Amino acid sequence: MNCKSMIPPRPNPAFVAFFALLAGAAFAQSGKAPSVSMVPVGLVTAERATQTMVPLNFRVASGFHINSNMPRSEFLIPTSLKMDLPTDIILGKIEYPEGQDLSFPFSPDEKLSVYSGDFTVNVAVHPLHAVTPGKYVMHGVLRYQACDNAQCFPPKALPVSFDVKVTKEPPTPHKNPAQSPHVHN
Amino acid sequence: MSSVENSHQVQVENPQWCPKCGAALGTGEGKAEVTPGTPTCEACGAPLVQPLAEPGAPIPPAPAKNRNPLALVVVAIVAAAMLYFGFHMARRGGADNAAPPILGKSTPAPDFTLDKLDGGNLKLSDLRGKAVLLNFWATWCGPCKIETPWLVELQNQYGSQGLQVVGVAMDDSGKDEIAKFAKDMGVNYPVLLGKEAVGDAYGGVPALPESFFIGRDGKIVDRIIGLKGRADIEDSIKKALNTQASAESTNPAPQTLQAHN
Repeated sequence: MNCKSMIPPRPNPAFVAFFALLAGAAFAQSGKAPSVSMVPVGLVTAERATQTMVPLNFRVASGFHINSNMPRSEFLIPTSLKMDLPTDIILGKIEYPEGQDLSFPFSPDEKLSVYSGDFTVNVAVHPLHAVTPGKYVMHGVLRYQACDNAQCFPPKALPVSFDVKVTKEPPTPHKNPAQSPHVHN
Repeated sequence: MSSVENSHQVQVENPQWCPKCGAALGTGEGKAEVTPGTPTCEACGAPLVQPLAEPGAPIPPAPAKNRNPLALVVVAIVAAAMLYFGFHMARRGGADNAAPPILGKSTPAPDFTLDKLDGGNLKLSDLRGKAVLLNFWATWCGPCKIETPWLVELQNQYGSQGLQVVGVAMDDSGKDEIAKFAKDMGVNYPVLLGKEAVGDAYGGVPALPESFFIGRDGKIVDRIIGLKGRADIEDSIKKALNTQASAESTNPAPQTLQAHN
């Protein structure tokens, strides 16, 4: 048997690099759509009967922006977080950051209020006293509408979820037991 | 003996100096003698370089850089498939079904019938003989808000020469909101209530605004994706106006997309 025939052909590094470049170009061609992603949230610990603020961090893909929660035109779609309401856990106020001023190159005088890059939405979680301690999953949706500096993309909804570990509230400090009126020293 | 072969064989012939003690070797004075197989320095006993192969044994040749032609063909096919897939997805723009057609210049503009904002409907092919600026927009589209006043001006400027701007609202907003937007912008051309099927027929319209410039013969002469300058739009309008109406202009297109509510 000829040993040379058993040696697999060694790939040419230049050819591999060219192939990778082609693959990358193909992938880039298909990746024009804007994206907003949520940074994973660690386990949130929330005491019963106490309000806990949960920061949800989002990231807008480079080159894109989305309207803030308070866009300056009634026709623009605001970014909004809608959380499903679980039983016995109250999701309170949702705090949005202020938008950044932005204007399109062809209309520099008209300012938009947008989020770009990273931004944080805070959600208040308030487990009621009756909640059984344990782990709960909160679900919701971030609705947004993205644009770049020349065009806008249809509104989208990003699923949002995070885990909350509900713990018992700390014991209330004990007061001195009342003295029995019948005890007399 | 070639230099390649030398690199695989060890020098056992007359080494000059011991690498450890520096004693002269092989000088013929009996101070050092190289024994084939286990050479050592007679002065200090340090081992000398060992032969890797028996003298005279066949030296394996350097691995040949042969490429399997079949592997190259497979890689080329995969690369071509990925490129095709990438362009294909870029054109689709997120559509769920079959890829929309690629509309190039000189392609007949897909015909359709859509409801007008102010009642009735409009069939695109009924505008044959005119230059049509078909503008896809939405109320939530900021660049569209910048562009719309330009379209109003251009309709006023070139309407007498045969230009007809047609707006196609592609959002899910209610009719009232679209009407308010159009009124606020002073829109002086027909606004149609867009349908996904019509958008698909025009390449999916993945982002707004997007405008198609249709010549008097019903063929697409230009296309602008996204917000460009007013001058760019005007240049494309002139291209459309400079076309000649063909004999087919009076005949409706065989396939017409119907609006379904």
